[in-house]
Amino acid sequence: MAILIDETKCNGCGLCDHNCPGDIIHMDAVSGKPLVVYPDECWYCGACRIDCPENCIKIIFPLISL
Amino acid sequence: MSFNLANIPEHHITTDVLVIGGGSAGTMAALAARRQGLEVALVDKAGIDRSGCGCAGNDHFLAILESGPEWDTKEAFLKWYHRLTQGLVDMAIPEKVFLSRIKRMVAYLEELGIPMRLDATHNDYIRTGSFGQPGDYFINFDGRKLKPTVSAEAARAGVKFFRRINITDLLADGGRVTGAVGFDIRKGDFYTFLARATIVATGNVTRLYNNQASMPYNSWHSPYNNGGAQAMAFRAGAELKNMEFVNYTLTPVNFSASALNAIVGMGGYIVNGLGERFLFKYHEKGEKGPRWVMPWGVYWEIKEGRGPCYFDLRHLPEEAINHLLHHLLPVDKNTFLDYCEQKGVDLRKDLLEVQISEGQLPAFLGSVSGIYVTPECATTVSGLFATGACSVTVGSLSGSMCVGETAGEEAAKFIYRDKTVKPEVPKEELTARREAIYSPLKRQGGFKHCELENKLRQVMTLYVGIGRTRRGMLTALEELAKLEKLFPDVRADNLHELMRVHELRDMLLVAQLIARGALEREESRFGLSHYRGDFPTSREEWHCSLHQCLQGEQVVLKRVAPSNL
Repeated sequence: MAILIDETKCNGCGLCDHNCPGDIIHMDAVSGKPLVVYPDECWYCGACRIDCPENCIKIIFPLISL
Repeated sequence: MSFNLANIPEHHITTDVLVIGGGSAGTMAALAARRQGLEVALVDKAGIDRSGCGCAGNDHFLAILESGPEWDTKEAFLKWYHRLTQGLVDMAIPEKVFLSRIKRMVAYLEELGIPMRLDATHNDYIRTGSFGQPGDYFINFDGRKLKPTVSAEAARAGVKFFRRINITDLLADGGRVTGAVGFDIRKGDFYTFLARATIVATGNVTRLYNNQASMPYNSWHSPYNNGGAQAMAFRAGAELKNMEFVNYTLTPVNFSASALNAIVGMGGYIVNGLGERFLFKYHEKGEKGPRWVMPWGVYWEIKEGRGPCYFDLRHLPEEAINHLLHHLLPVDKNTFLDYCEQKGVDLRKDLLEVQISEGQLPAFLGSVSGIYVTPECATTVSGLFATGACSVTVGSLSGSMCVGETAGEEAAKFIYRDKTVKPEVPKEELTARREAIYSPLKRQGGFKHCELENKLRQVMTLYVGIGRTRRGMLTALEELAKLEKLFPDVRADNLHELMRVHELRDMLLVAQLIARGALEREESRFGLSHYRGDFPTSREEWHCSLHQCLQGEQVVLKRVAPSNL
């Protein structure tokens, strides 16, 4: 899971995709919303969340990392 | 995949200075070169506004402010830095790349509106010390906006940004580096940069070792730093030094986040399973000792049956705990408190279990491994400069920014010395580079990058990790050579995977440099960093740096005398 984006709040600005240093979030051309394409490659850095204008991103740690 | 291999769009960019890596060091290098009136291209495989280890912030800014006390002077810093690096860093470097710049750098960040003075009552800095410093060298600050702010400054100054371009190789003409090639990780376009001077600044090297959570991207520093600079510079003939010293730290259990500096800096304890503060057994300064002492102590406590080990903050006064919880931990790693909440740990009343992190090549203060540079940030190859954590200079965030500025200015001087040089590259070389970049996309069957990468981590962890012997190193080199043979069979099914394949290529090379250095250096040093069970103490004959470089197909090793104050 890693990154949970609340699509009902998301305004589709794409900042999370732009900020992610690992190329793991891609804006979906059809829905205009971000997709977490490579959750296993997440650093858990929070760069996707930090500038989100709608504050709609949650970071979810997998069980193995707790 | 919408990308058509038969018809790849090409972009040819000619510039004065090419900077590869858009983290803190690279962005400052680009800005500094631009201030000298030159055309500058800044390239990163990510978005640059939040690229690098400091993408989501940082909470400590190492600085000498000459505020009065004896420890807050250049002389005291140099003495400490010499002791910390044990003579393996050229002592002409810190003055040139850091000490002469740091006060101005702090003032500059304040001008940009970065909150450096967290003591609002006195409008002053809050400073803490750790890792054996003679005083409180770290300004505690709120660096959450630092990276985007400095990036915006660079853009405003006219630095041209090339985002999401993965640089794979340097270009050379007659022994001089003349630029680099790469590809757009989203569109696939081929990029050629021709430059009068090239600066590599891609940071440290991660993903080489397993961690306890078995999540390779859950790493201490950025998992997207894979030794691009070190590998490209080495392939271009540059000397690398002391690659055998792998760095470990203590992190929260299963979450490989930075925290140690903040915790020990604020007076936190490290205790074992018996509740004892044990670090004084290993170093006279205990938790205030050098970083390597802490994983070293934890290793032996666990080995001898006194684990698990913990951060203990329960004795800290409310003010200190508040400072940690509000100003340091969530600024250093933005998700730290999410981890605590989801794990169910309350740092006010609970112990936080620690682990020894996975190993990585440096990204912090006192590191002695990476690309060898002069005090002018020049590598041993003409036209090629290195800065930040990939170079052996002064590490940490403030180090990287000051060294970045040095590299930018020195690259500009290099260009102005002979402005007539026109960077060129033979057409055949470009064609061959282009072919090599995209070939993993054309393969069917074979291996996925993660299959080789997992094997690489297994080999490195087993034989080149904690505890090393000659036999282990020879086994590692044999296994890594097998992986090298398999590499041409690795396929990529899309452009994102193509980027990971090129990262793997660089990691494989760096892994071999580490193993070769570790085989050669018949002594032990810096705790777990290089612990040879067959040579368990430091030895006089190895009080020197070990350099490696490529001459033709041959790796040449040489010992370089230590630097004295």
